[in-house]
Amino acid sequence: MTADPTIAVHLIQRVANQDREAFSRLYDRFSTLVFTLAMRMLKTRSEAEALLQEVFIQVWRQAKGYSAELGSPEAWITNIARTRAIDKIRSVDRIEESFMLTDALSRAELSDNIESSAAKSETKLTMNAALVNLPGTQRRVLELAYFDGLTQTEIAKRLAEPLATVKTKMHSGIQRLREIVSSRAA
Amino acid sequence: MAHEEWIERAEIYGLSALDGDELIQFEAHLGSGCPVCEGQVGETRESLASLAQSLAPLTPPSQVKGRLLHQISPEVAPSIREDAKPRSFSWGISAGAFAAAGLLITMTWSLYATRQELQRLQKDVASIQAGSILHETGIEFLSDPHARSVHLKGLAPSPGAVGHFLWNPESRKGILITQGLPKNAPDKVYELWAIAGDEPVPVGTFSVEDKPHTLLKIPSLPQGKSFDKFAVTLEPAGGVPKPTGPMHLLGSV
Repeated sequence: MTADPTIAVHLIQRVANQDREAFSRLYDRFSTLVFTLAMRMLKTRSEAEALLQEVFIQVWRQAKGYSAELGSPEAWITNIARTRAIDKIRSVDRIEESFMLTDALSRAELSDNIESSAAKSETKLTMNAALVNLPGTQRRVLELAYFDGLTQTEIAKRLAEPLATVKTKMHSGIQRLREIVSSRAA
Repeated sequence: MAHEEWIERAEIYGLSALDGDELIQFEAHLGSGCPVCEGQVGETRESLASLAQSLAPLTPPSQVKGRLLHQISPEVAPSIREDAKPRSFSWGISAGAFAAAGLLITMTWSLYATRQELQRLQKDVASIQAGSILHETGIEFLSDPHARSVHLKGLAPSPGAVGHFLWNPESRKGILITQGLPKNAPDKVYELWAIAGDEPVPVGTFSVEDKPHTLLKIPSLPQGKSFDKFAVTLEPAGGVPKPTGPMHLLGSV
């Protein structure tokens, strides 16, 4: 997925010219990454599938706006996926929970939750790479923000910690992550 | 504010965890064109992408790619290809018979093409008329200083759909404009809900046919409630008092 980013950049440039073959190759390259992230964030297969589709339609439409100077293709596509997933988490899921559900819907949701449990176990973080090298408290804060879409205030509330402490942990966690990524690239 | 503080906010913004006034202030700062903070947001997102890569990979369902490729394929309109036109023949039949047959075929094709064109024009006229009604009604609400607007986003059953609900809190009149909702089956209908807290109140029903847009006029929203969300679900024909079907659109005030 991360090999030779110039190929991915070139593919995006071709997609910008409505090249469907390049789009197909770009999808092959990044769909697993996007789907995995979507499963981790949205918990259900149907929503992750919908998100995957939305992300690549956005890629098709906005490829012209991509510039390698703004970041790697991974970061660009991952950010599109996260932004959309967070949007759903924040503005949809919580509100849907408050909706009055009928038996039929409850049953549907129950079956979705069974799927969700499977998804959770499937997407359990492999303690490799970046995260395992972060101190536990920093890792928890980053996980809550990155994968669960919580804001700094929500994290402070969830962890019963002062907002300033959460900010500090976020800052330290991101700095540490940056060091890890840089050392890996070197 | 010291610029170091902006940079710290840039990191949290890159994580999409900035909120409240800090978010508003930072977006204004970014909007002013600070290249340092813009770079910081980009670098943060670059590092964070490694978190997504640290997950155990899951293979997406194969049908998604097929749907996507279909979605981006150019629409193939039925057309009369040049090579389908009648050609001259060299068989041993009289030239007059061929000429008559050729004329007949040409006229048939011509009629077919005219009918196709007519149908296309009828669709265009219908679409323009619908657009005109939307335009006029939309302008009426948008020019009303008391009117409020809610953007409804497409949910999982219709991710590409959008809606706008415009209403006047004083007159309680409103209109819902949607785009991209799938055509409903004859035994189904879309239902608009106004939600006050956790309580959904039915507002009206509508059907989606072949037009790209739909418009639902609300003569009077229920009194005595302060609505903070609006949603559209797919329900049995005739509508229901409480939502039972999948939610297609949702937006908060």
